[in-house]
Amino acid sequence: MSAAPARGIETVELPEMPSLSRLYVGAAREAAKKLMKKGAMRAALPAARHHVIGVRPDLGKMTAYQSLLGETKLDIAPAGYLHALAFPAAMSVMAREDFPLPLLGMVHVRNKVEYRLPVLYPDLLEVTAWAEGLAGHRAGTQVGLVVEVRHAGNDDVAWRGVSTYLARGVFLPGLDKPSPAGPRGEFRAPLPTALWRLGSETGREYAAVSGDFNPIHLSSISARALGMRRSIAHGMYTASRALAEVGAQKGDAFAWDVTFEAPVFLPARVCLNIADSVDDHGAWERSNFAGWSPTSGRRHFVGSVGRL
Amino acid sequence: MSTLRNAVVVGGNRIPFARANGPYAMSSNLDMLTAALDGLVARFGLQDERIGEVAAGAVLKHSRDFNLTREAVLGSSLSPETPAYDVQQACATGLETVLSLSDKIKLGRIESAIAGGADSASDAPIVVSEGLRQAVLELNRAKTLQQKLRAVSKIRPRDVAPVAPGTNEPRTGLSMGEHQALTTAQWKITREAQDELALASHRNLAEAYERGFFDDLLTPYRGLTRDGNLRADTSLEKLASLKTVFGRQLGDRATMTAGNSTPLTDGASTVLLASEDWAASHDLPILARIVDGEAAAVDFVHGKDGLLMAPVFAVSRLLGRLGLTFEDFDYFEFHEAFAGTVLSHLAAWEDEEFCRERLGLDGALGKVDRAKLNVNGSSLAAGHPFAATGGRIVASLAKQLHERGEVNGRPARGLISVCAAGGLGVAAVLEAR
Repeated sequence: MSAAPARGIETVELPEMPSLSRLYVGAAREAAKKLMKKGAMRAALPAARHHVIGVRPDLGKMTAYQSLLGETKLDIAPAGYLHALAFPAAMSVMAREDFPLPLLGMVHVRNKVEYRLPVLYPDLLEVTAWAEGLAGHRAGTQVGLVVEVRHAGNDDVAWRGVSTYLARGVFLPGLDKPSPAGPRGEFRAPLPTALWRLGSETGREYAAVSGDFNPIHLSSISARALGMRRSIAHGMYTASRALAEVGAQKGDAFAWDVTFEAPVFLPARVCLNIADSVDDHGAWERSNFAGWSPTSGRRHFVGSVGRL
Repeated sequence: MSTLRNAVVVGGNRIPFARANGPYAMSSNLDMLTAALDGLVARFGLQDERIGEVAAGAVLKHSRDFNLTREAVLGSSLSPETPAYDVQQACATGLETVLSLSDKIKLGRIESAIAGGADSASDAPIVVSEGLRQAVLELNRAKTLQQKLRAVSKIRPRDVAPVAPGTNEPRTGLSMGEHQALTTAQWKITREAQDELALASHRNLAEAYERGFFDDLLTPYRGLTRDGNLRADTSLEKLASLKTVFGRQLGDRATMTAGNSTPLTDGASTVLLASEDWAASHDLPILARIVDGEAAAVDFVHGKDGLLMAPVFAVSRLLGRLGLTFEDFDYFEFHEAFAGTVLSHLAAWEDEEFCRERLGLDGALGKVDRAKLNVNGSSLAAGHPFAATGGRIVASLAKQLHERGEVNGRPARGLISVCAAGGLGVAAVLEAR
């Protein structure tokens, strides 16, 4: 790895990008073990960074991703595709025995990405992932999973993502529980600029292009097995589609931030609003977006794409 | 521009417009365009005539319609040596063919031209699902039996269901009606104002038929002699009784009904354009001169402007270039995609702030005299076979201008605007001859 590891941090070289489905199976086993050890878990994250070299965008998968999310099929890898490509490295950190939270049932609450240097499909990449920011939350414990993507032999980070997860109902010793947040500002839906009609196959389709076969996204039956009333859309599907719809104005280098609120139970209609703002010279600076349910009026997600 | 010669409208011909899945259900774009073209040929004695160029188009197009206009020429009694090409600019297709062909005439490249368009919402192209299409394409590329089997194995039962075309905007997923519902609410256009505009459209069209205005603009087809959508006996009460169909998420702000929106329609139209010399040498009338035209587009994707608001900009730029104001016009032919569209345009032109900030004017562009608006009816009554609407409007306006002749010592003048999908809009100015 080109970036020097912090002192006392072990770097674990993975032979290849791990398979998410295998991690999920392992996670189910691990969950049982952690359940038995509950209370014995320390409030500390693994002092390790997982590193994978020789990672390359797969043209077929990237094309399928672009088709599904409505991205033009250019050779530059979409920011959301890089998330799908590199995130298994972070999952392998969460699947470690010394990771203090159960992998299954964690809720994706926020995702921040900085896409700094364009990644093209034949580029050879290195991926580094680690966990940081373990913190108490009024509803459980949250943690950030950091993933950095570099071009092989280049110290500069091309793509950096921080995915924040919440382990609902899990409270670790020694972590302060912040006082309950004040009531969230009432969401008043603006006029929509777009409407998504999401069929029940949406979760399976995104699973196929992202490799994220978490059962809560695949079918009503598999979702019910995990306590959901119906399957839900991947948060990253909604965020990536909003990113695609912000369009070409965002250029090649941008920051993309999304907070996930109410889950999107499938099938669903989702109203989207994208509001662009420009700088003093009239050039695009930022697009704020929000998605909500036209029936309940509840907000599903809110975020922005901004110039870097 | 003063150095260019004139391009003039000789006349037009269309078939009556029919509501979708009605009398023209079994007629294709090609059938209808050929029928309209043959009527034009018969009216102006153009059998075996080699026309400079024919341009037409369709919005809902089959892959087999790839050379639609040339095929229509070959199926007509025009000389088979008449060149032709297709144009597609959504609902502005018809008006764009008129403008581009008249430019060629003005430049001296051609002496005569036929502009037109056809659209069938009944004979719409049905496509196979994306899953089946990809599997069949892969099967086509497969070389070995194994590859072929792999391709076939990818077909899922749900892939077999056919897919009909929608009117949804590709980038927003909102239908045109839903887009307009947002614009209508934004400009605070009332249900009553929309219903009144729809009523005027039906009344004006019915009166135009009564006085025989369309006798030399129309050729009966498939038993229709008048536009099938025309409701001469409609009333404000009847229009007020209709349920809202678009913008329901706006709750009590929803105002758009089937009565103040255009229905899906089948039909075709043509316009004969020429240089003055060509018209004279063929002993043909000259109805009007094509003065100028302007296309505009709006950034509707994230709602900066409404989807159908581009004519507001096209008209403003066109009037600016010609040094004209609304006072200088005797007729306004504003395509009624929805009553709310026309009324939103009128509201924008009367809005000082909008005109200053968005159109770059000193103040409001002005008020359109409603007595001069769509005097022979428009799309709400006649229907709107997308690509055929421009030809209908140009031929009708040219005839109306010719009948009016002079106003205050100048030729009668008319302004056309047509909105279109994709945030497009086209405007044109015609003068009586």
